[in-house]
Amino acid sequence: MKKTIIDRLYVWGFTGVLAVMAVLFLVLPKEAFSETENRSLQKLPVFSWDRLSSKEFSKDVELYISDHFPFRTEWVAGKSAAEQLRLQMENNGIYKGKDGWLFEKFDEPDRELLAKYIEAVKLFAQKQTEAHLTFLLAPNSIGIYPERLPWMASAYPQQDINKEIGQQLGDSLTFLNGYDILKPEASSPRPLFYRTDHHWTSYGAYIAYRAYAESMGWTPLDEEQFAIRTVTNTFYGSYHTRSQFSGLNPDEITVYEPKTPLQLELQIVDDGTVTDTLYDESYLDKKDKYSYFQGGVHALMKLNNKSGHTDMSKLLVIKDSYAHSLLPFLAHHVDEIHVIDIRYYNGSIGKYMNEHDIDNVLLLFNTSTFVEENNLLKLKY
Amino acid sequence: MVFSSLLFLFLFLPAVLLAYYSSPQRARNWILFIASLVFYAWGEPIYIVLMLFSTATDYLFGLSLDRPNRTARSRKLTLAASIMTNLALLGFFKYADFIIANLNAIAGTNIPPTDLPLPIGISFYTFQSMSYIIDVYRGNTKAQRSWLDFATYVSLFPQLVAGPIVQYGTVANQLKNRVINHAMFAEGVRRFIIGLAKKVLLANNIGMLWDTVVTAQSGPLPALTAWIGIVAFAFQIYFDFSGYSDMAIGLGLMFGFRFNENFNKPYTAQSITDFWRRWHISLSSWFRDYVYIPLGGNRKGLLLQLRNIMIVWALTGIWHGASWNFVLWGLYFGLILIAEKMFMLRLLARTPRWMRHCYALLLVLLGWVLFAFESTSEIGAYLSAMIGMNSASLWDGQTIYLLYTNAVLLVILVLMSLPKGMIIRSVPQSLAFVGHAVLLLLSIAYLVDATFNPFLYFRF
Repeated sequence: MKKTIIDRLYVWGFTGVLAVMAVLFLVLPKEAFSETENRSLQKLPVFSWDRLSSKEFSKDVELYISDHFPFRTEWVAGKSAAEQLRLQMENNGIYKGKDGWLFEKFDEPDRELLAKYIEAVKLFAQKQTEAHLTFLLAPNSIGIYPERLPWMASAYPQQDINKEIGQQLGDSLTFLNGYDILKPEASSPRPLFYRTDHHWTSYGAYIAYRAYAESMGWTPLDEEQFAIRTVTNTFYGSYHTRSQFSGLNPDEITVYEPKTPLQLELQIVDDGTVTDTLYDESYLDKKDKYSYFQGGVHALMKLNNKSGHTDMSKLLVIKDSYAHSLLPFLAHHVDEIHVIDIRYYNGSIGKYMNEHDIDNVLLLFNTSTFVEENNLLKLKY
Repeated sequence: MVFSSLLFLFLFLPAVLLAYYSSPQRARNWILFIASLVFYAWGEPIYIVLMLFSTATDYLFGLSLDRPNRTARSRKLTLAASIMTNLALLGFFKYADFIIANLNAIAGTNIPPTDLPLPIGISFYTFQSMSYIIDVYRGNTKAQRSWLDFATYVSLFPQLVAGPIVQYGTVANQLKNRVINHAMFAEGVRRFIIGLAKKVLLANNIGMLWDTVVTAQSGPLPALTAWIGIVAFAFQIYFDFSGYSDMAIGLGLMFGFRFNENFNKPYTAQSITDFWRRWHISLSSWFRDYVYIPLGGNRKGLLLQLRNIMIVWALTGIWHGASWNFVLWGLYFGLILIAEKMFMLRLLARTPRWMRHCYALLLVLLGWVLFAFESTSEIGAYLSAMIGMNSASLWDGQTIYLLYTNAVLLVILVLMSLPKGMIIRSVPQSLAFVGHAVLLLLSIAYLVDATFNPFLYFRF
């Protein structure tokens, strides 16, 4: 007798779960953008016989269902919890290291691709014969704090990669090895990188800025010339989002406010906004807090320092997102900084430099991005 | 479409179950057939034509064979025609490029490859159709008069894409008369959940260990890591494939069909002969019934028996994929089976049981190395890593890392490979219910986390 009750429970339990999730999926409103995942979610798939036979339609539908699955974040967190329960020290490519430090896995890069990217940078340097080029290659947290990795976890040494790249490019431009610059400060109690995010902290950016300023012959500003203020201490960054590890302490984002404030004009060419601050406070209330710096990634920005007393009139920064926290320091030394994000800018950079009469360039990348960034090939054009 | 996907679980399956159970008995095969067409067309919007063509021709061939007053010779011709059609379809779409590549290599020709993508399930449905025709020819079953019922048999979505290969006789009656009650549906639910968990929680996760071991290493592979790697692969392929079979059987039960078992704890085998009675049973049965026995089996003397065994195993190998390493894998087992038949089994009978298990597992693991790599150089490199013949150390930091981060999983995998009775006498039903519920919820969580979840055996 008991068996029939249990059997009925199985039947209705199973069909119940399927039915409830199906109905919820169909009925619940769909969001267009996921803050947690920082990407736009799949729109309602468009049907056409062509798209059906090319299998594009089926792919879109499957993505639509998974993107808008009810309680998606909770399910993902559940999986991460289960992985942690089974003593797994990594999830979705992120290691859970000691003291709440998360690291993105770093394996040996594809040598062929890396050679192509180095070649692209070389070609760019050779074409700009009159320009002064500096390449600052910042490591990531996994390169600087390998001792905080989980027990026996391995990472390909970023130190070696940076050195190699430096050796290959040393003759074409001024190479600043971010690893050599940051490593001496690694034992400082002030973190150079965020625990839960792939960026460097404002302090890490400061150290790099100091090295760059010295290499350019400028007098770097001392930390005493700033009021270092914490703008948020509830920052859960990209590593946290990807891994969904629980029980972690959030990061702090600090801003270096110059005691003698600068008069700035920041122009975001993408959408035409003009503002007088390098910071977008609205992001402090959202998930993606690192976008506090200049409102996140833009293809082209122009920063004018109207205060005078500068060391250089024009600088072009070609970058990934590591530059955002470095820019506030550079602003003190340059009248006009043009900032191009290689991932989103589609014009010829050489042409841009000619049009705007720029002969000082700073290439600023982090190792993880550099070894995989296909957009670096744009430098050739 | 894949069973282990959100689309299948939360759109397709509920819709089909709803349609099926709210329709009258006679409409149910229609529901299944149409659902199966949608299921197949979803993944193969163009190649569905092939499947329908194969079904239509075999339906007609079957009827033709059953017509009275046919000479033995004309029946043989019809049989040959059907088999050739199926083999031609399979041969062309699956093996054309393999044949071309070999022709080019041997004859120095320069035929361009077709680059045709492999139609999903073609190895399964052509074999199912052929089993039907041969059974009708032999008089083991009457031809199916209803095109709908026959088409339902061939295209039935639970087993169309990845088996088990259901011989027509198994389901002939069930096509017209199906018993459906709560007990059977509940059994199907339990089976399906176990299969889903095997695939999503076990196979996919241990597969990551194998992926880590096998992707470009900076330096030669330490021996211990190589062993852990191939063990991971062995678990992955077992739980992936048996999980999929479990889901197929479970789904069949939910619709009133009972398919035969496809796996029976293969890693508890005590010899390779035993292993092949437990692994992919529907395939070895098929080759036994439709190739080995017609070739004479063991009834025409020792020499012919050996020949028959090697033919069957070469074919079994190549069935798994259009590449020479699969043939090698098949022949490897063929030779071992011959050796066992001739003397090894008698030898083994005198050894302690644990030795028999080690013997079987070792040979199976070595077999998986042949199966896992397409090029002989990769096979060679991996085998030499396993015996420590490369320049690597016995183990390194990564070996330990892989072991301890996968320890819990490995223990679960071992337990799940053992017969049920070995671990716990019996589990109270309420506990089992909670267990199944937890597995279902966990599987959903893992599925949501990974948006893409391909099935290993999809070479078919």
